Amino acid sequence: MRRYLAFRILQALGVVAFVTTLSFVVVHLAPGDPISTTLQGSNVTEQTRQHWRVEYGLDRPIPEQYLRWLRLTARGDLGFSFSQRRPVRDVLADAMPRTLALTGLALVLSFALGIIVGLLQAERVNSPRDRWLGRVLLLMYSVPDFWLALMMLLFFSYRLRLFPPGGLHDAVMYDYMSATGKVIDAIKHLVLPVLTLTLLYTASIARIQRAELVSLTHSDWMRTAVAKGLGWTSAVRRHALRNALLPTITLLGVNLPALAVGAIFVERVFSWPGMGFVTVGAVGARDYPLVMAGVVVTSILVVCGALVADVAVSIADPRIRIR
Amino acid sequence: MHRSRLTSCHMKRFLPFVLAAVAVAGCKGTETAATAGPADVGGTIVIATPSDAGTMLPPLITGITDREVTDLLYDRLAEIGPELNTLGDKGFTPRLAERWEWSADSLSITFHLNPHAKWHDGQPVRASDVRFSVNLIKDPALGSTALPLLSNIDSVSVRDSLTAVAYFKKRVPDQFYDLVYQIAILPEHVLGNTPAAQLKTAEIGRRGIGSGRFRLAKWEAGSRIELVADTLNYRGRPKLDRIVFSIAPDFNGAVTRFFAGDADIFENLRAEQLPRLATDSARHAIRLPSLGYNFMAMNQVDPKTPGRPHPIFSERAVRRALSMAVDRRAMLKNVFDTMATFGFGPFPHTVSVADTTLPQIPYDTAKAKALLDSAGWLAGPDGVRSKNGRRLEFSITTPSSSAGRHQYAVLLQDAFRRVGAVVTLDESDFPSYIAKLNSHSFDAEMESFQTDPSVSGFKQTWSTAGIGGEGQNHASYSNLSVDAYLDSATNAFDPARSKAYARRAFEALMDDAAGIWLYDTPTMAGIHKRIRTAGLRADAYFSGLADWWIPASQRSERDKVGLRPTP
Amino acid sequence: MSDDSEAGHSLASTTRSRLRGDRRVWIAGGVLGLIGLVSLAAPLLAPFDPNAQLDIAHFAGQAPSRMHLLGTDPYSRDVLSRMLYGGRVSLTIALASVAMAVSFGTLVGVIAGYFGGIVDAVLMRFVDAAYSVPSLLYLLVVAALWGDIGVLRLTVLIASVAWFTVSRLVRAKTLLVRDTEFVVAARALGVSDARILARHVLPNVIGPAIVSSTLTVGNVILLEAGLSYLGIGVRSPQASWGNIIQDGAERLSDLWWLTLFPGLAILMTVFACNALGDALRDALDPRQLVAGPNDDSPHLTA
Repeated sequence: MRRYLAFRILQALGVVAFVTTLSFVVVHLAPGDPISTTLQGSNVTEQTRQHWRVEYGLDRPIPEQYLRWLRLTARGDLGFSFSQRRPVRDVLADAMPRTLALTGLALVLSFALGIIVGLLQAERVNSPRDRWLGRVLLLMYSVPDFWLALMMLLFFSYRLRLFPPGGLHDAVMYDYMSATGKVIDAIKHLVLPVLTLTLLYTASIARIQRAELVSLTHSDWMRTAVAKGLGWTSAVRRHALRNALLPTITLLGVNLPALAVGAIFVERVFSWPGMGFVTVGAVGARDYPLVMAGVVVTSILVVCGALVADVAVSIADPRIRIR
Repeated sequence: MHRSRLTSCHMKRFLPFVLAAVAVAGCKGTETAATAGPADVGGTIVIATPSDAGTMLPPLITGITDREVTDLLYDRLAEIGPELNTLGDKGFTPRLAERWEWSADSLSITFHLNPHAKWHDGQPVRASDVRFSVNLIKDPALGSTALPLLSNIDSVSVRDSLTAVAYFKKRVPDQFYDLVYQIAILPEHVLGNTPAAQLKTAEIGRRGIGSGRFRLAKWEAGSRIELVADTLNYRGRPKLDRIVFSIAPDFNGAVTRFFAGDADIFENLRAEQLPRLATDSARHAIRLPSLGYNFMAMNQVDPKTPGRPHPIFSERAVRRALSMAVDRRAMLKNVFDTMATFGFGPFPHTVSVADTTLPQIPYDTAKAKALLDSAGWLAGPDGVRSKNGRRLEFSITTPSSSAGRHQYAVLLQDAFRRVGAVVTLDESDFPSYIAKLNSHSFDAEMESFQTDPSVSGFKQTWSTAGIGGEGQNHASYSNLSVDAYLDSATNAFDPARSKAYARRAFEALMDDAAGIWLYDTPTMAGIHKRIRTAGLRADAYFSGLADWWIPASQRSERDKVGLRPTP
Repeated sequence: MSDDSEAGHSLASTTRSRLRGDRRVWIAGGVLGLIGLVSLAAPLLAPFDPNAQLDIAHFAGQAPSRMHLLGTDPYSRDVLSRMLYGGRVSLTIALASVAMAVSFGTLVGVIAGYFGGIVDAVLMRFVDAAYSVPSLLYLLVVAALWGDIGVLRLTVLIASVAWFTVSRLVRAKTLLVRDTEFVVAARALGVSDARILARHVLPNVIGPAIVSSTLTVGNVILLEAGLSYLGIGVRSPQASWGNIIQDGAERLSDLWWLTLFPGLAILMTVFACNALGDALRDALDPRQLVAGPNDDSPHLTA
């Protein structure tokens, strides 16, 4: 176990190193001088710009800048966000919990939903129920994330006016609400983004879950269980479900990068000020330090999520280990 | 042309039938402004805006939200009058300076500060703050966009803690205006310890400690900026308790907030919202005066080889032909319908030197083609024109943050295609767009100018002196007769003469097709009917916000929050 | 010829008969064929020039009507015509980038699987690492910072993040083939690597490569649409399904047809691709006949 853990952590660190290098290279190869674009100005003297270049180390050769950036990043100093005019760390400290709340909530809900749907399908493989649910899931799985979000926004917010069109909470009154009022307000703002993400995630989870359940139902011990007089349905529920859950979690961990993309679009459409929203905004504002930190931190979150899923599963069932 | 509160009522004859009633309603509100009683203190106004502020430091403002917020937080020495006179000190009213005296030779002005004026942190406002503010904005390390406007201000000396003397290099009509309009007074004890070069990024630039009638309560990046009444202000407590700038991620979000009742004011209404407002019992539209004008600028210098003339736009015939290819009226209808006004020339129609009777280049596609033919730009087999092997192909640079300019660029792309030009759109995020403008690396670009009330503002944009450095002449347009006319207009002490010279400068620019004049910045705002406005000045409708009020009988939940301290 | 290829033959024929009996193949294939045909015939079918602004003062933002079946956009261009031509662009980008991605992914997978050892380790660690980066974020940064990159470079860029799944699948299959008795014997006899690869490995990995390319087409269409929606994919005046949505996103509440119809087109195409992919996989892999997606195909590379 310990060896496996060490291996996985080492692997994750390798990925992090790759991602940091990649994001640094991509951003620094891009055309345009970060100083002249981020600080808007030729109405700044060359002397001032030079001062800034020195201050941000942009006058050094690229490899040296890279090392400097690595050193600072490792120390937790992510630099200064030009567009938000505060340290990048503060920006991300605000954004990260919001993304985790949104995606965490959606994951929990879609897990519950996905397992139920997967189970309903696997209980009667190739029945009309299985096929119809399968089609609906495949449809949900094929839907463009941003389009689903836009349609939800159009229908539930613009047309029916049931929910606010976006944001974290009421922009004006939140600070002046009672404690209950604040909770209700926060929930109102959460419903649409969470619902959208849940729909997107459920499609993936239910498909994986069904596949795992079905492959398990072909195993010998399922046949034994049925032979022993346990009904098919209860055999699936009692034995297969428990055994299928762990691989599903593992696969979900593997697929976190794709799920993160859905979250980026949902945050964007519902202006949920999380990691995706902040990073996309920073790209638009050419806020290089925030772009780099956003990409790196999002990727680290994804890698950590996969690691946690993997390790948790391998602790629960030592037979399942991704090599 | 006078620009009083009633301007918005005069406007109604330009409006279609449906809008007339709306506009009248708006003016009614304005006219009753004077009747607010003591019970009418309180209330909250929420302004929906699609863009966050970038700074709380007046010399560093770049966007409209920056401008609105800092105007409310900081005071100037004196405030320009509603008629926007910029000659001498006529019409200016006291702010931080309770009075001032001119020296006999007009080369210095002595300002006596109001002894009751205090910063929001309780410190008194001193003459040394005036000196600090002028020195700071004149420091090139700060990088203020106002810097080129202040070359005539020599220095400020401190006579005693309440008396500051400003010295000028020469006597010009706008010298008083230059000093008081461009420079907001900043607190030295707050900002003085930070090097000027670092103020653009320093955290201190977000605190907004000024001496205005509103103070900054909270700036939640990307979400809201909340100002509350400065109850102990030397000019008296504002009638409103709070002003909240509610930052929506985009245009749509801001509109939705306005119609859902989450915001009281939305500044950039579009045509498609008008029918909705006409049937809305709680909201109406008012016309806000503004000094913005928009055009397609054509670079005179080749962006690929600086120093050489642009291979397409340096030719007057091409500029005129392209102008003829554009149906400016139809485009205005498409993008803004009645929400913006026609762009007559290189000026907003609201500015005092504007002349909307100057001859226009007419829309005539056939003539445009003929003109290109005769200039040697001949159509090839694919319909694209070329001359000496150079295809009639160029890009239009637009900021992706502006929906209106983007829409215009797409319309222009098709209009130019019809006369045989290939246009690509170069959409840049706002910082990159500004960087491209400043480095002159573009072919054509969608320019939007918010001019100053003074003629000198036009020199920044159209004179040879405005090329490069801190000037705003991004297209490097240079025309000696325009230079001369603008100089004469700026130096004339008599308003009528000044206008006559400006008119000739504009005429020359229009005849030369220096740009393709498109529209004056949209000026329709949606506003909740319970709000009574006051003092809608053309350069800054928001300057009088401290005197806006909400009758006690019409208050909403938001208005009743009162002045509880912000958590 | 040999045992191996005969086994391959019978496998191929069962696969074919299995495919023929699967209704999904007919329906999804039919839908895709129809979409392809309609896109090809766009110049014949489109009622208007897709890029022409018909009458900017009077026909902009018109709701669907008899004259403009799917309405017009804010520039008075006919949405139906733009969707027909936009489908061409979206599908061309998708097919081209998938062709690139699958060729490259297959190459990498075969090399890693066949030669093993350090080559395999390096290649697969790279794939693992690249797989962990949310690809949209990476594409977004690259495309946004480089400005207008054009359709060709956009295609290459999309291909650069679409080959990971293919290479994993192909590698797994190659490993199986490499260890078959026949290949081991051929190596022992001194048959060259190139010959073994061409004769025995490639024919066997083509199946998984095809399955995964069908699924990748769907994902790539989604990716291109997403980028164009964010305003950094295909640019005006050229239409793509994603940028038609972008043209209307600012005014979603009143110009809903600009969002609804292209979205449905994307959904239908991707749905058909995925259904076909599922059917192909089920047919190619008898062990997975009843199972849905398995370990190899949680193809969420978007």
